[in-house]
Order: sequence, then structure tokens, then C-alpha cells
Amino acid sequence: MSSKHKPGLIENIAEKLHLIPKLHDEIEPELPRLTEPGQLTDYPPPEKWDDWVEYEAKGWPRHEAKNYMIVPTSCFNCEAGCGLLSYVNKETLEVRKFEGNPWHPGSRGRNCAKGPATINQINDKDRILYPLKRKGKRGEGNWQRVSWDEVLDEIASRIRETLKAGKNNEVAYHVGRPGHEGYIDRVLKAWGVDGHNSHTNICSAGARFGYAIWHGYDRPSPDHANAKFILLISAHLESGHYFNPHAQRIIEGMMNGAKLAVMDPRLSNTASMADYWMPTYPGSEAAVLLAMAKVILDEGLYNESFMKNWVNWQTYLKKEHPKVTVNFENFIEMLKEEYKEYTPEFAEQESGVPAKMIIETAKQAGKAGTQLSTHNWRSAGSGNLGGWSVARCLHFLNVLTGSVGTVGGTSPSAWNKFKPNVFDSPPAVKFWNELHFPHEYPLAHYEMSQLLPHFLKEGRGKLSVYFTRVFNPVWTFPDGFTWIEALSDESKIGLHAALTPTWNETAYFADYVLPMGHSSERHDLISYETHSGLWIGFRQPVLREALRRMGKPVNFTYEANPGEVWEEDEFWMELSWRIDPDGNLGIKEHFISPYRKGEKISIDEYYQHIFENTAGLPEKASEEGLTPLDYMRKYGAFEVETTSYNKHVKELSKDELKSANVDMSTNTITKNGKAIGVMVDEIACSGFPTPSRKQEFYSETTVDWGWPEYKIPTYIKSHIHEENMDRGKGDFPLLPTFRLPTLIHSRSGNAKWLTEISNRNPVWMHTSDANKFGIKTGDLLRINTDIGYFVDRVWVTEGMKPGVVACSHHLGRWRRPQDEQGNRWATNLVDIQEMENGKWKMRVLDGIRPYKSEDPDSSRIFWSDGGVHQNITFPVHPDPISGMHCWHQKVRIEKARADDKYGDLFVDTNKSFEVYKKWLKMTRPAPGPDGLRRPLWFNRPLRPVDEMYFIEKKQDN
Amino acid sequence: MNFGFIIDNRKCIGCHACTVACKSEHDVPIGVNRTWVKYVEKGEFPNTRRLFSVMRCNHCEDAPCVEICPVTALYTRDDGIVDFDNRRCIGCKACIQACPYDALYIDPNSHTAAKCNYCAHRVDIGLEPACVNVCPVHAIISGDMDDPLSEITQLLAREQVTARKVEKGTRPKLFYIDGDDASLKPTSTEQSSNYMWSSQSAGVGHFAKYAEERISQSDPEKMAQQLAGSSAEKILSKTEEVIKEAQRVYDAPDKGIVWGWEVSAYVWTKAIATGAFLVPFLATAFGFTPVQNMIQWAGLALGLIFLTITGGLLIKDLDKPMRFAYILLRPQWRSWLVRGGYAIGLYGGLLSLIGAAKFFGWTDILRPAIWGGAIFAIITAVYTAFLFAQAKGRDFWQSPTLSLHMLVHAVMAGAATFALLSLFMESSEAWLGFLRTLFYCSIAFNLLVIAIEMLTAHPTADSKRVVKMIVAGQFSSLFWIGTLIVGNLLPALLIWLGGSALFAAGGVLVLIGVYITEHIWVRAPQLIPLS
Repeated sequence: MSSKHKPGLIENIAEKLHLIPKLHDEIEPELPRLTEPGQLTDYPPPEKWDDWVEYEAKGWPRHEAKNYMIVPTSCFNCEAGCGLLSYVNKETLEVRKFEGNPWHPGSRGRNCAKGPATINQINDKDRILYPLKRKGKRGEGNWQRVSWDEVLDEIASRIRETLKAGKNNEVAYHVGRPGHEGYIDRVLKAWGVDGHNSHTNICSAGARFGYAIWHGYDRPSPDHANAKFILLISAHLESGHYFNPHAQRIIEGMMNGAKLAVMDPRLSNTASMADYWMPTYPGSEAAVLLAMAKVILDEGLYNESFMKNWVNWQTYLKKEHPKVTVNFENFIEMLKEEYKEYTPEFAEQESGVPAKMIIETAKQAGKAGTQLSTHNWRSAGSGNLGGWSVARCLHFLNVLTGSVGTVGGTSPSAWNKFKPNVFDSPPAVKFWNELHFPHEYPLAHYEMSQLLPHFLKEGRGKLSVYFTRVFNPVWTFPDGFTWIEALSDESKIGLHAALTPTWNETAYFADYVLPMGHSSERHDLISYETHSGLWIGFRQPVLREALRRMGKPVNFTYEANPGEVWEEDEFWMELSWRIDPDGNLGIKEHFISPYRKGEKISIDEYYQHIFENTAGLPEKASEEGLTPLDYMRKYGAFEVETTSYNKHVKELSKDELKSANVDMSTNTITKNGKAIGVMVDEIACSGFPTPSRKQEFYSETTVDWGWPEYKIPTYIKSHIHEENMDRGKGDFPLLPTFRLPTLIHSRSGNAKWLTEISNRNPVWMHTSDANKFGIKTGDLLRINTDIGYFVDRVWVTEGMKPGVVACSHHLGRWRRPQDEQGNRWATNLVDIQEMENGKWKMRVLDGIRPYKSEDPDSSRIFWSDGGVHQNITFPVHPDPISGMHCWHQKVRIEKARADDKYGDLFVDTNKSFEVYKKWLKMTRPAPGPDGLRRPLWFNRPLRPVDEMYFIEKKQDN
Repeated sequence: MNFGFIIDNRKCIGCHACTVACKSEHDVPIGVNRTWVKYVEKGEFPNTRRLFSVMRCNHCEDAPCVEICPVTALYTRDDGIVDFDNRRCIGCKACIQACPYDALYIDPNSHTAAKCNYCAHRVDIGLEPACVNVCPVHAIISGDMDDPLSEITQLLAREQVTARKVEKGTRPKLFYIDGDDASLKPTSTEQSSNYMWSSQSAGVGHFAKYAEERISQSDPEKMAQQLAGSSAEKILSKTEEVIKEAQRVYDAPDKGIVWGWEVSAYVWTKAIATGAFLVPFLATAFGFTPVQNMIQWAGLALGLIFLTITGGLLIKDLDKPMRFAYILLRPQWRSWLVRGGYAIGLYGGLLSLIGAAKFFGWTDILRPAIWGGAIFAIITAVYTAFLFAQAKGRDFWQSPTLSLHMLVHAVMAGAATFALLSLFMESSEAWLGFLRTLFYCSIAFNLLVIAIEMLTAHPTADSKRVVKMIVAGQFSSLFWIGTLIVGNLLPALLIWLGGSALFAAGGVLVLIGVYITEHIWVRAPQLIPLS
């Protein structure tokens, strides 16, 4: 309206006399509206994306028209990979902003705070733009810029030598934030190395194991939007996989009348939204869930037909109750018998949640029937010894209510996760890397990544070439000082290349720091179980795509990216060719274009091939006259299936049934000694990928592998059970895992808009506990762990269960004086001293302060507190079964001592090694039946050939 | 067309996506926000709940920011959006005082006021505001409330809604479904500089320069000490600790007291500038006593000098001082800043005219000029009370006696100035006697006005809190010693004791007292959080 502002007489004269600037005679463009006046729409329609003009907000109310090319891509902050639209200024070729992608079936055009904050990461003045090579000793902080050619040649020749020497297990790739896992698995297979390592065992492996032991699939895909009762042992309204997509659907479900129950000792934002906040004592969740199961059984609220058809109760009765007639009624009786001790009163005693609430929620869950959606993401599953049993007991409720795979129920993840068809699949690897899957942990759901530095320390092996990708174990993992020791030892790790867009605590200890693109600066294919449905999301380097659309294509993404920032996909292609320049190693052949004979595959061809072989995509694309690749470039996402329910009842084909037998006692269909399905109501269904093809209430696997006590869903007492607390000495369980809605581990630190919202992590403590210590909010506490301590402030709140404390792990980033100035929004300047062998001390020298940079905002930093790094004071706690790091800590709390300063921390890595040994003793190592090192039906990342599963045929590694 | 917002607290999950999407759309600097989410915790374990409240401009139908803005930098569009034009803004910060919702801030890049403008640049091409688009749970509902078919209209018809501070008469157009007073009422909880996952140790917005100052403090040791201390509240002077049932656990940074010493000083110099003319005028116009010519000249000179200083302070207070002329040249006549600006100008002009008339003996002009001067002196003295009354965010300033307070301060300051002058200028006994009487009367009247302001029942909690801060809180010593004893009782005693030195000293104390009083009156209400 300013352009329509009518100046008064005085203003008019004053402007005419040039006493004041003229504001009224600019001729300003009027842009066309997308809607009728008064109506608003969310996004410009895709047909306008190549040439979109809108007013620049900063110039408003002047009509400053800006011309953008809208290019879809995917977020890379949390794992959800929500859709983003980038607004690329066609004049300057800069990204102005990121909004949601309305064509993305998972995120549906909406994002959390981290989506739009992506622009901060792109424009971060502290980001790394050129490859760097260390000078001097590793970790000294001296770097020199090198060329990518030099980087590729040096690393390639080292890998080549290693492979030629047959030391294939000495090449490893360790990933933090996943994505492009399909891609890298292919690369590692091509190299012939069992070299995949991940972060999953410090993240979600616990719950995954609990799900996998039931039905082979390791994650739930709840259909919250259609549920009647939503039970979360997670905080999906603020965090978790997949926060934004799930939050949308949870709220949708609630608005349609669903009730929400949340188990969490801490009042998460999610718990605060719940109809039932169940503040369980940490680790007691399984007890509560079994009590709920008991109520459902006793009240007769279970789903008889589902249970009858899809639970392996016959095997259970035969094995455990051989004297009892095998019929369903007896099974129910035995079930009631098995769980008779799990009374609501017992659960109340364990958890502190009133029996009344347990009964009420159980009845609600039971009555919701097939519309019970549940989730245990990390939370209790990743906090406790035996945490995997939490997910197992939670899924038990879904089994009891028959809400597995139903509308409003909880499906297995894989039903909603797309598997791409890649142009070339190298054969499975013929190695088994004991550094990743050691024989002590035969059932470990993922790699024992948290133990890697201990394994190296013990001399179990060494690494010739170690890639870390967006992976920051020094800061994120437990026992960071042991990581520093391992990373600093050049005899254990020959070459460490850190692939990362930004500086992090692990990259300080690398030989090469290789800048890789942020979310909008590279390719990837994304598909997650955000809801019932199946979609793929395309991550693409938006500037590259914009240049292509403008008729100025580039050959490599780094040509369009800032500085010399590469993308991993192209890095691996280049590296692979250089490892095997003459093709002798059989690597190069896997990187040949499917379209151009004998030539190196291009990144476009890689995705072109996938999209051409994605069901329904070529047809959809041709409707618009596009190639499948161009369709994905334009929309950034494709919905493969709209809904994906009840896939377990998919009928087996005649072919599949050829020469198959049906076991009349269990209805299991077998072929060549392997179960392939289940007969249900005279239909041959494919079932679930378990040995019984059913839901395995009774796990023969646990019995076979030496854990008979866990043959059925059981409550396992946590390592932080009340019994283990000496309250008189100040013992508390510490929950160190909670996430904030705004942050995501290392990934989000360099986003100023996120850091300004959240920049400190005090220890949450209930008022009554604070009163016992005589402390108030802001006072300093020394939190003693088994291997050291950290000093943090207390946050006194009624939002914490009495007797339990919690601290978010998100804050407490650091850099040392010798390190490059990375992420100054969030890093404390610290001094690290190794006092004597293995005794490490860290002290904060300087907090967060404003600084001058090209971004004026850096001089406006109003916070000084960067939080406290707590994870580094934790020892490893690998669960002997799932392998999951059990995050919760028994800590001894005292008031800070006289010379304690905020942010101080101390660790003795000798003690961490002792704790590692202590937990290692809890294992029941392989071999299992038939000399197996791992059950054959258990998948694993980068699954090698089946022979490798047998310990006797162990290769020389 | 009439755009409004609904925040649906049945759905809002407090994720801050709106905050960041807004930052991205408008490139809002660090420290300030056009929209933010306040967190309040309520209830005892296990009945604790965390309430999330999206805070932003309410796009009021009767927007006080628009009324007070002297230069039409803020305006209401035909579609009901309260928008702004930073090319016009002079950085006077009156809008920040006028808005009861804490919606405005000073942008440290442009040094002009800014706030949520409903993404007017998007609305004009048919797009939803950025916050509406990003919200994962569709808890922010925008739309035309005149359209019976719009989602917002239908929701308003169906659901019970609340709004913030409806008693302000601003007719806000941001409605909350399931709004909770513990969160929506700022006084339900205390502000802090340390929250559950954030902290503030330096200023933002108008005060961003204090953060910048820390760049040069290359003293990490000091910083480490600061971190080690239990809190860093130096910049944020806070009201006394009150234990509340609810606790504020996250909030956007406090913007500080944006009207600082320049404003109290300008009220003070303005009192002298107007009192210096009014006091001799009173003496002569009503025939109390003749005033020596030199005294009259001194009054005129002091009036002009202090009026110039007043103008200088006014300009100094602007965040865009080079645009000071916009007040007069882009006037928005409803604003008392404009009316006051013109009053100051006319008063200054009349003083000059009186001087000229006296000098050149233009007797015909002199009398009307003097009466005109008196009228504009009074307007100049009291208009700030009307300006403060337009500052609807500050309840305490809504006092009907504020104009009397300003007027009597002008008289006191005028009399005090002449008392001080009597040391240097020969003054007749009759004149001194008149001043003495004037002192007694004005001090008595002043005490009465203060008593009324402090003792009479205040209609709002915010006003009551300010009174409490003044008489029993952090301003109490300043008030009891500074205002009452130094500024009123002691001068009365000294004047009663007699003697020229004591008389002049009494005048000095009155001037000190007036400054202290204005300091309290300007500062204390700004400590009440608006959100």
C-alpha cells in the first residue's frame, strides 16, 4: 500500500523541494496474483517453477520483483529427508531461501525449523570450501589446501595397495547421518570390502532389534492419521524419525479423535500434548507395556483372528508346554499364565505410573483394536540394558490388538520404504569384518561402531583407510576421548579422510578434510516410512540443476557448488576409477555407464537408470512428456504407492508355490526347507520375513543363541534400575538422549537461527530433588559418571520425574585454540589436556561471543553459553544382545566443588576400557547353531555372502 | 477483506518452525523476531503441562502502533493487514511502547522498526504467509474473516477463542483456540535471561550494539568467569522475583528498555524550557507581581536554549536521527509526537517572536504573542502525557493525572531555574516572594498528584506492579529519597528557612527531583513485560 500512500500537503511540498527523499513517484511492477483477492494458496504451481517472480520481502513495500528458478531438493538435517523447494535467484545464482515441497508425499510442503534453516548452512561463513591436508602431527590443527586430484590419487593408491595386499578389511567407511546408503553399499561391494560402519548402534539399534525379532522388519511405520489410540515411547511431536511427517499425522489423528499416550520420564513437548503422560521410571517401560498386555488379555480385548493366524503360538506351545494340547484357547491360557505377575500394581511399583492410568490406557489401546498406532524410536529402547525389549513389548500390543499392518495400525517399515533398482549390482562381499561385527555380539543389530576404538586399542585389527562421512564420534559418541586416542594413533588408522561440509570435533583429527555438499548441493535418493504409502524423494544439487535448466549444464556438481565443494556420489565414482585404473581389480567395471559403452558412469545416468526402473514413474513422467529423470528433477518426489497396508497377506504366486509344502500344525508353507509363507483361510500368504513367516511371539532364535530367558516378550531390568542406585550417595539415573525440536546432533550447529533459539543444555531436575541438594536453577553441579565427570548448571522444573535427571546432548560443541574457526555460533573454545596417561581434562576457555564476519548477524550473538559436552564423559555400554549403546547413565551428583568451572569435564580412558571389558563379559559369543556367527535370517548392512555367516569358514582377516 | 490469524493450540507443538521460516522469508537479524514461540510450564508433577504460544503482531483493527507512528511508517491496509514502510521510519520507538503485544523491534540492520506484516508481499500475489506454509501441524490459520467460507471464519464460528489483552481496546485479530492465561498474560510468569535451552547475556535489536561491543573484549578469562557465574543479567534489569504458579521456560530475548535516559532528560529539559516562560507569565498576566525585564529576557533565553536541547535529545533518541525532519515533513497528525513536534516548533517560534517584539518594540504583537506563547508552552509541557497515553502498551502511562504531573513539573522546574538564577541576577523581593509562593503551591500540588498516582486504585495489574516497583520495589529508594525528600520536602524546608543560598539550593534540589521522578516514570513501566 505504500506505493498507494497519498502524501499530505506538507509531505508533498517537502518532497518537491527535495527536503526529503521522494517515496511516491517510483513506478513499481504489479505482479499477477495466483488467486482471487482474499484467497491464499500455499505454493506457486509447478508450471511456474522455471520462471517464478515474487516480491522481495526485504524491499517491501516497494515492489521489488525477483526472478527465481524453483528447484526441489531434500533436507539433510534430520534423517526424515523432508522435501524442500529452493528459490534460486536467476540473476545471481544464489539460493534465496528454502521452503517445503508440496509434492513430497512424506512432508507435504511442511517443515520443522531445521528445513528453512538450511539456508544458514549454505551461507555459513565458517564452512569448508577447499580440500585440506594436515601438516604436522594428526590433531595439531595445521592444514594446507590441496587439490582434489592430489586427494583422489593419494587415497586411491593407498586403497589399491591395501586391496592388492588382501587387507580388504582395513578399508572402512563410517557414516553418521545416513542417506545414500544404497549408493555406498554398492561402492563398497564393488571394492570387495566389508567396510560399512554406521552410527546406528548408538542411535536406534535397540528398538530396531526389538522389532526385528518379532517380524524381521526393524522399524515401525505407524499410521497415526487413522489411529484411534496412539502410544508413543518417543517424542515424535518434536524429534525422532520422522519428526515432521509423523507430527503432522499424529496431530491429524488427534484432531480426528485419537487419544495420545506418551511414556517419558521427562515432560517432552510431546508428553505435554498427550492425553496421558506416563512418566515412567527409565527402563521400566517394558513392565508397563506387559501390564497393559495383561489387561488386554484379561479383558478379552485381543484380536483373536489375527493372533490365531499370524502368531507362532503353535511352536510356542509345542516347545514350552509339550504336555498341553496345541489349540488357541490353551495358548491364551498360557499367555495369561506367563504374564500373571505383570499386574498394573507391579508395573506401578517399577515405573511410578499409577496402576489406574495403566489400566485405562490399556483398555483404550485394546478398544482401539486394529487402529492402535505405536512407536518406540530411540528413547527407552536406546537408553537401557535390554532396551530392545521395550520395542518388543510395545509391538506385542500391536500383535495382541491385531493392529499390525492395518489402517490406523502399525506397519513394518519396509512396506513403506522404497528399494531402488540400481544399474549394476556387484556381488556380495566375501569378507567379514570383525571390527564391525565381532563374534561376541552375534545378534548385534548393526555394527558395533561404538567399540571400534577399543577394538583398535586391543589390537583386534587396524585400518589402512578410514572414511568418516558426516560423522562426528568424538563429540556424538560415548567415550570421545578414547576416539581421540584412536584417531591420533597413526599406527592404528593409517589414513583418516573426513567427508564433511563443516568443521567438527572428529575432523580435527583427520588427515584429509574433504568438503562435501550440504543438502542442496548433492544427489541422493530418499525413501522413509513416514506413513502408509511408498514414496521416493530426490535430493539434487539445486544450482547444478538450475544451470542445466538455463542451458548451461556442468559435468560435475562441484562446478556449480561454492568453492571446491564436491558431492560424495561423484567422489566415489572418481575414486573407484582411480583405485582400479586398468580394471585389474574388477572394480572399474561397476562404474561403467549403462548408456555409453566403456565410459565412466555419470551421476545423471546413475539416477536416470533408477528412475527408469521405478514402478509407475516412467508412465507418470510420460503423461507430462518428461523423462523419468526430468520428472524427478522437476518435482523432487514421486509417490510409488498411496497406501501400503496388509502386505503380509499378499498371495504367493503359483510359481512360488511350486513344490512347496504346508505344515498342517503351523500352516507355515515351506519350500526347499525354507519357510516362504503362511496358509491363512486357504490363501497362501507371503507373511513376514521370519523363520516362521509369522509374528514371532516365541523366538527360537533367542533360545538357539543362548538367551532362553528372552524367548518371549519380557521385561529386562535396566542397568540403571532403582536397585542399582545408592540414593544416599547422590545416585541418579541420567537421561542424556533427549533432542530439542530445533537441533540435530552435529548437523545443525552452524545454523544461526537454530542456535539462537537453543544454545545451552542444563541438567533437568525435579524441584524436590533440587531442594534436597539445596540448589536452585542456575547453580552448578558436578555430574560423576563411571569414567569421569562434567560440570553443568541445573534447571529446576516440575517437568521432570522426581529421582531422575536429564540433559540434552545437543549442545556443548567445542574447538581448541589451534583448530580452524568452525561453527562459531555454537562452539566453546576449550583447552584439552592429557594430564597423565589416559586422564583427560577439558576446560572452557571462552564461550560463544559475537565476531565480525561478512554476515552482520555474527556480531549480534547475544548468548555466551554454548552448553556442556556430556557424551564424552560416558563409557560404552553395549547391550550384549542388540549391541545398542545403552545411553542412560547412573551418575553420582554433587554440588560443584570450589575449583569447578562451568563446562569442565574429566575422563579417564583407562576406566572406560575397564567398563568396556565389563560389558563385554556380559555377552554370549558366537558360534551359534551350525557354527554360525550370526543367524542367517538376520540381515545386516552390506550383507556378505552366506558362507561368511559361518565362523568355521572364517576368512583370514 | 479483513485478514486475521488463528493459532490453534490444540495442534501447536511448539517446534519453532514458524520462527525460523519467518526469519528466512524476511531475513530477520539475530536477536529479534517477528514471530516466536513462548513456552510456559504449569502445574505440579505429574500434572505438569508445557504451553506453547505463538506470539506476533495481532494486526489490530485499532492498531495503537499506527496511531502513534508520527510518519505513517506503520499503517493499516484495506485488507486489514498492519504493514510498515521502513523508508519512512525514524526509529522513535513509540510503536514499541504503543503495542501491547511486544510485536515491534528495532532492526539492527536498518535501524528502523519492524514486525510481522502478514507477509503482505506474499499475500499480494496470493500466497500464504511463510509461517502458515511451514507449520507442520497447520496450527496457524490465516485468511479473510469477511469471507464466510474461509477456514478462519468457520473456525471462529465454531470454536471458542481468546485473544491477548482485549481490554486494551485494540481489537486484536489474532485468536487462540485453547489459549491459556498463564501463557497469554505476560504477568503470569517472570522473564529470565536463562531458559531451559537458551540464554541471553547481551542486548538485541535496538541494543544490538552491546553485543557488538563484546567483540572487542578480547578477554576470554572474563568471559569464562561470566560463564561460571550463575547468571548474566547485567543488561537486563528485572523486576523483583515473584514466585508464580507457572514458569516461563522459553521466550525470545528481552528487547530491553528502549526509551532510555534521553527520554527522561527530554521531559526534564522541556519542563525547564516551558517553565522558564510560564513562571514570569503567571506572575505578570494575573497581576501577582511585575517581573523585571532582565528576568523576562532570561526566561525567553532559557526557554529557547532548553527547547533546543530538548530537540537535540529527541533527535538523539531516534535510531534514524538523520530522518528527524520527517516528523514535521511527513506528519501523521493523530500522533502526539507530531503534534508535540509542531507545538515545540511553534512555541520556539513564538518565543523568538516575543523576543523580537520586545527588542523592536512591536507592542501590538507582543501581547498576543505572549498569550500564544503561554498556550504553546502549556501544550509543549503536557503533550508528552498524551503521547504516553498513546503508548497503550504501558498501562501506567494511561494515568489521567499524567498531564497535570507534567504541567506542575514545568512550573516547578521554571521556578527552580529562577531560584538558581537569583544567585546571579538581581531579583526583586516581590519576585522572590512570588517564586516562594509558587514553590509551596506547586510542591504541594505535585505531592497531591503523586499521591493520587500512587494511592488511587489502578485498574490494571501492570499499573499496580509499576506502583509497587516505585513505592516498595527496585525504585523505592529513588522514589522516597529522590522524588519525595530531595525533590519536594527538602526544597520546601530550605525555602522556608530562607536565605538566598538556601533558596537557590532548594531550586537545584527541585530540578534534581524532577529529573529523578521523570527517570522513574519513564523507566519503570518499561520493565513490565509485554508478552
